[in-house]
Amino acid sequence: MVKLNINDVDCFYGSVKVLENIVFSVEGGEFVGILGPNGSGKTTLLKTIGRILKPQIGTILLDDIDVYIMKAMEVAKNIAVVPQDTSVAFDFTALDLVLMGRNPHIGFFETENEKDIAISKKSMELTNIWNLADRNVSELSGGEKQRVIIARALAQDPKVMLLDEPTSHLDINYQIEMMDLLKELCKKEGLIILAVFHDFNLAARYCDSAILLSKGKIASIGSLDAVLNKENLQKIFHVNAIVKQHPLTSSLYVVPLSTSKPETVRPKNLTVHVVCGGGTGVSLIRTLSKHNYRLTTGVLNVLDSDYDVVSTLGIPVVSEAPFSEITEESHRANLNKIDNAKAVVLSNTPFGYGNLKNLEAVIASLEKGVTTIVVDKTPIQERDFTGGKAQALYMELKDKGAIFVKNCDHVLSILDTLESKIGK
Amino acid sequence: MVTWNMRNKSGEKDYFKRFVRWKIIIIFLVLALILTITFAVTIGPKQIPPMDAWKIIVKNIPFLGNLVGDVSTGVDYSVNQSIVLQIRLPRIIAASMVGVALAVSGVVLQGLLRNPMADPYVIGISAGAALGASIVIGFGIGFSFLGIDAIQLMALLGGLITVFVVYNIARIGPRIPMLTVLLAGIAITSFLSAIISFIMITLGESLHALVFWLFGSFTLSSWDNVVVAMPFIIIGLIVIVIFSRQLNIMLLGEDEAQQLGVDIEKLKKIMLVVASLITAVAVSISGIIGFIGLIIPHIARILVGPDHRILVPSSALAGAIILVLCDTAARTIMDPVELPVGVFTAFFGVPFFLYLLRKKKAIAM
Repeated sequence: MVKLNINDVDCFYGSVKVLENIVFSVEGGEFVGILGPNGSGKTTLLKTIGRILKPQIGTILLDDIDVYIMKAMEVAKNIAVVPQDTSVAFDFTALDLVLMGRNPHIGFFETENEKDIAISKKSMELTNIWNLADRNVSELSGGEKQRVIIARALAQDPKVMLLDEPTSHLDINYQIEMMDLLKELCKKEGLIILAVFHDFNLAARYCDSAILLSKGKIASIGSLDAVLNKENLQKIFHVNAIVKQHPLTSSLYVVPLSTSKPETVRPKNLTVHVVCGGGTGVSLIRTLSKHNYRLTTGVLNVLDSDYDVVSTLGIPVVSEAPFSEITEESHRANLNKIDNAKAVVLSNTPFGYGNLKNLEAVIASLEKGVTTIVVDKTPIQERDFTGGKAQALYMELKDKGAIFVKNCDHVLSILDTLESKIGK
Repeated sequence: MVTWNMRNKSGEKDYFKRFVRWKIIIIFLVLALILTITFAVTIGPKQIPPMDAWKIIVKNIPFLGNLVGDVSTGVDYSVNQSIVLQIRLPRIIAASMVGVALAVSGVVLQGLLRNPMADPYVIGISAGAALGASIVIGFGIGFSFLGIDAIQLMALLGGLITVFVVYNIARIGPRIPMLTVLLAGIAITSFLSAIISFIMITLGESLHALVFWLFGSFTLSSWDNVVVAMPFIIIGLIVIVIFSRQLNIMLLGEDEAQQLGVDIEKLKKIMLVVASLITAVAVSISGIIGFIGLIIPHIARILVGPDHRILVPSSALAGAIILVLCDTAARTIMDPVELPVGVFTAFFGVPFFLYLLRKKKAIAM
């Protein structure tokens, strides 16, 4: 089983330190993703491992041998590199280019033989480009060229593959096809695959583990769950994101919500309480938070997608256990939050027995004279699952003077008017 | 998940057909060179029948000579013999050697620099050689060494010293960044040109001799030249042919070439040394002949493709053919006045190159 050890590596471009204290080891059969923002040293790390950029401190050991002591030919037999972009100065055919991958296996005074051609053909068939064999590389599309380069790497018959965004030019179907192929080779042939990814979801789906780089240092390393979490995304990439397990692929997936750059705009005076549920509050909450309203919400069941958004954005929320009816206690807490708010917004929520108390809370706020806005997109009959109770409460809202609107923008314009009044 | 594409239109057998095609190209070019040499030997102030010319040549090759039947030994024959052997043949062989050297160095430098504008002179050889020659002509130095003229010797030294300086300016530790080689070469060339211009102004009467040398000419060529130059150029050519598969990979860029197992620093060093050496030898024989080193590689690339394994030998042969033809034109067209050969390489070669360039563009569209 092939083994790759990176021991305390420091790298410089001139006097600028680009990698610092990089330590990790990988064994055959492992698929490792390298993640990190632009300029964090991902490509440099691949160059260092690929015997292009010698580290000033530390060693890269391939099966306990320093790659910088090995000859280029020896390294090329073991390590194949798929760079981000390849430019070919003159017109070679795709097959010529793939055959160049056989170079480390061809003796100095020899030329390629039937075996080399057969291996190149096989690699090109695996990457689905054998039909392009005779075409000039300069005439190929970016995606086709990328598959030619992957085929060339396969033709090298390596033990370690270093890929720098291997699928950046590929259509989605080829992305999956290439990644499936690499994963299969990794497991079957016991290859080490180190790949730089910009797409977290692709990384999450294929990598066994990941290395997160930030400013040339390892910020996090380990299993995917350990590396790809909300806190790291926030700390390193400055994005708020939802990280969840996908029910179908059972791999993690990441949905970025907003950047979390320090606020330059002063928050508004108005505190708005949003009553929502069932995912109907997502766009409303995002809009209001983008316009810097101070928000509170309640009552939301944990696991509700509204709850995810609210907790990601750090908005105070009164929560209830998943799939449970609102208890008296949370109802009171909700009323408390409403008391502190200058306005209440009810989203286009469906009502069942579980969350009927939310509707009562809105009526209570209305009775206290708080400005109450109701987003009424879907007729209440269609989202009443309480046999008419919710409808009755809804009628009461109308009677007591709640403002009914059709969409978020209306809510925003009403709140803006209110804000300017309070501002004065 | 992986779909197997069975549309096998090219097939691996077709790949090996290219080796056959390459052999045919080489045979064709060798025949063309023989034909060119035959033509060049026969033409001149005194026309010599082709058969007689070949009989004279073969007769004077050891061992092979015995196979040729008795040839007429009249007065005409002995005149022809001395014209062929003493005047025309050394000059033709020298021209083909220089053609080989310049074309092949051009291929190597364009490949190493990944730059189609490169030629053998780009790293300063021409300027160094010209300075050497202008010092000899300017100061009226006259000596010869091993039968080699002072101008030729100084040109060789000048060229080699200049490349050595450029190489060491560009070198960073064990590494040689090719872009720095290129820039240092251009800078040194400009610097030396200034000195040459200065010398030219002070020359007076011998100015004509220097200008003639600068344009390139084979008037000085002798068997001594050929004997000294040939081993360098032939060995150089062989070394370059051996490295031609590595030169192909070098076209992908240095990082990628290294990752495909090419020892790039070694390759660059060997190729720079070989290309410089054969170019310096060529320049010392003939002066500075332009165009061959720049455009023959391009013509060959258009005709046979970018693979150095065929590109190097076919450029070598094409360079020899074209330079022999140009030299023949230079010495016969305005006979008895001899023109510089560089005038013809550009005059005939450039239109031909432009024609190919247009044709290739039309195919590409």
